[in-house]
Amino acid sequence: MATVNITINGKKIAAEAGQTIFEAATEAGIDIPHLCHHPALPPEGACRMCLVEVEKQRVLQPACTFPVTEGMVVHTESPKVIEARRFVLQLLFSERNHFCMYCQMSGDCELQELAYRYNLDHWVYDRPYPKLPVDSSREYFVMDHNRCILCRRCVRACAQLVGNHTLGVKNRGASTMITADNDVPFGESTCVSCGTCLSVCPTGALMDRKSAYLGRDIEVEHIKSTCTHCSLGCGMELVTNDNHVLRVEADWDAQPNQGLLCVMGRFEPLWDSRKRATTPVVKRDNRWAGAEWDEALDLAANELGKCKGSVEGLVSGQATNESLALFAKVCKEGFKSDHVGLLTGVLPEPSGDFDLTELDLADFFIVVGEDLTVNHQVAGFFVKRRVTEHGARVGLIGNGENGLAPYALFEWGEDETDEAIKMAKKAEKPVVIYGVGAKVATLKQLHATLDGKAIFMGLSPAANARGAAAVGITGGPGGQTKGLYILACEEKEMPRGIKAKAKKADFVVVQASYLEPWADVADVILPCPVAFEKQGSITNDEGRTLSVTAAVESSVKSDEETLKALAQRLGL
Amino acid sequence: MAKPKIATDWLDVCSGCHMAILDIDERIVDLAKAVEFTSSPVTDLKHPPEDGVTVGILSGAVSNTHQEETAKEMRERCQILVALGDCAVFGGICAMRNFFDTEEVLRRAYVETESTAPNQEVPRSDEIGKLLNRVKAVNEVVKVDVHIPGCPPPADAIWFALTELLAGRIPVLTGEHLTYE
Repeated sequence: MATVNITINGKKIAAEAGQTIFEAATEAGIDIPHLCHHPALPPEGACRMCLVEVEKQRVLQPACTFPVTEGMVVHTESPKVIEARRFVLQLLFSERNHFCMYCQMSGDCELQELAYRYNLDHWVYDRPYPKLPVDSSREYFVMDHNRCILCRRCVRACAQLVGNHTLGVKNRGASTMITADNDVPFGESTCVSCGTCLSVCPTGALMDRKSAYLGRDIEVEHIKSTCTHCSLGCGMELVTNDNHVLRVEADWDAQPNQGLLCVMGRFEPLWDSRKRATTPVVKRDNRWAGAEWDEALDLAANELGKCKGSVEGLVSGQATNESLALFAKVCKEGFKSDHVGLLTGVLPEPSGDFDLTELDLADFFIVVGEDLTVNHQVAGFFVKRRVTEHGARVGLIGNGENGLAPYALFEWGEDETDEAIKMAKKAEKPVVIYGVGAKVATLKQLHATLDGKAIFMGLSPAANARGAAAVGITGGPGGQTKGLYILACEEKEMPRGIKAKAKKADFVVVQASYLEPWADVADVILPCPVAFEKQGSITNDEGRTLSVTAAVESSVKSDEETLKALAQRLGL
Repeated sequence: MAKPKIATDWLDVCSGCHMAILDIDERIVDLAKAVEFTSSPVTDLKHPPEDGVTVGILSGAVSNTHQEETAKEMRERCQILVALGDCAVFGGICAMRNFFDTEEVLRRAYVETESTAPNQEVPRSDEIGKLLNRVKAVNEVVKVDVHIPGCPPPADAIWFALTELLAGRIPVLTGEHLTYE
């Protein structure tokens, strides 16, 4: 990249050609205030907060959109600039309700912060006091139009990061409003509740229901961790206060998701209303009774011990690499298990290593046996934004409904795989994404013709499937056994077939965070921590090993402690 | 040299900003030595002296005709007018009623409130100030020279502003003094 020499506030800077003044200044450690601009989003130039003085330019220029040129001299805090910024702030404050005293963002608001920075001690313009609606039709977060400054970060995030295009603006001038689809309540729109708009909103216009008023940024901790709710292993920031996770926020530097999260990772874990398993419980005469750890562990070890040789171990992909290794050992060596598998099944063929961000370069996607809008939503966002923003095309192979269908140009049956291959050969950068529903024959056909040309990405139905494979757990559930040991973590649904199998088994031990749905089939339930309380690592579909950090203290034994206690009882 | 005179009054207010003046704690002794307090809501003298004061301090928003008169009188009789607190500076909590029709607000307050006895009416008399259609910040009614925002303003901000004024300067609040808590 060619170097461009510029001067900002008297400091000589070697910028890259094509950079904006904002980017060059940020790299040089010079802070230019901004509201509509967000590093993860393309520049918009809407709010005029970043106006700077560029010598030889007739008027002030927005730093976020103005490219650097050789010899450019920029002043970011000259009297003229400061006067303009104060003027812009006065205009922003004059429009809607910006009384901080009853706003949950007070203290963390970017607009408020700038008012402090530029000493806005009063407002000079008349206020119209428009009565604007608060849209609380969405489950997890609320839109208060009164706090909105129309920066359009949410609109751009929805379109350009998530590819969902739910948000837009309606009307003009002072009547401009953020709107969803064809002006419907947010809760009834095509919104997928990924929360990306919420994480980029600079004011209190978008408000998280769970964490509102529960702690300002100076009172909370931000802890980086990895989401274990699907096999993408998205990086995230857990915001905690007083041993509680308040909310899950974007980690913009995290790979592979680069700040994106989905409803499964951001909201659902905190909104889980099932009853937590807090102490071990045992079933006696068909009634549940609380038990001491020792009692429950003894019972589990003894009763499953009686089934030795006919014990199946089933584990959720939400388990860490460390607990998977122990689980495999306890099952295979302790209970002489003939089968240890993943509770939610495995891919028809294991995936090799890949880099998910390659999706951002692809021009053609073949999606086989996988609904990216349900199981691996962030990968779905990558595909959707590539389609809507960059004209990439999608072909779906497989029967059944697929949420990606509105984005797909082709929907093929398995017998039409040839068509897909023909298209892929014409593409520059094809990617094959396959899931649990893919047929082995289809994959074989695709490999035979596209290996070397296309990148293959297998997205597993179990989150830590790669970690499980590393300790020899490569299959799904097996046949009927006498004993059943399930490490269920936070799994919400009992996969088909497990219930009947468990009912037939002599003894069933389930290690789970929640009593539902396991209370129905288990004889002993041993509590286990939820993801936010776990420490360890997982290996995502790409083959990346990622850390899972315990953001809050667990009130129950860790999976490893429980497994070690069992191992000890089994003489391991 | 005669001490500079200070007059204060409150408008539509919870009185918290006047209490916030007391938050300057023992520094008030130094202040009392340096200035002469004339009128205030808690002194016998309610109106600023006709021959004027150096500094007039108003807390609260302008919500009715009576407060409008009070604000204008203070402006006429002081050299430097200080708006103290969010209500005086921006309209504050009082301005919440600006999102509703004035008659609707009166009805809600005097007729529909759960604790109101049946068959009550909105009191109307020439003796009582009439609600303005809109709650205003003081600077929407008269010229204001110094703004001290906050709900209430931090004691240090009040002290800083007063000492600057005593030193003959118009205070410019920055940083912590401006931060809303």
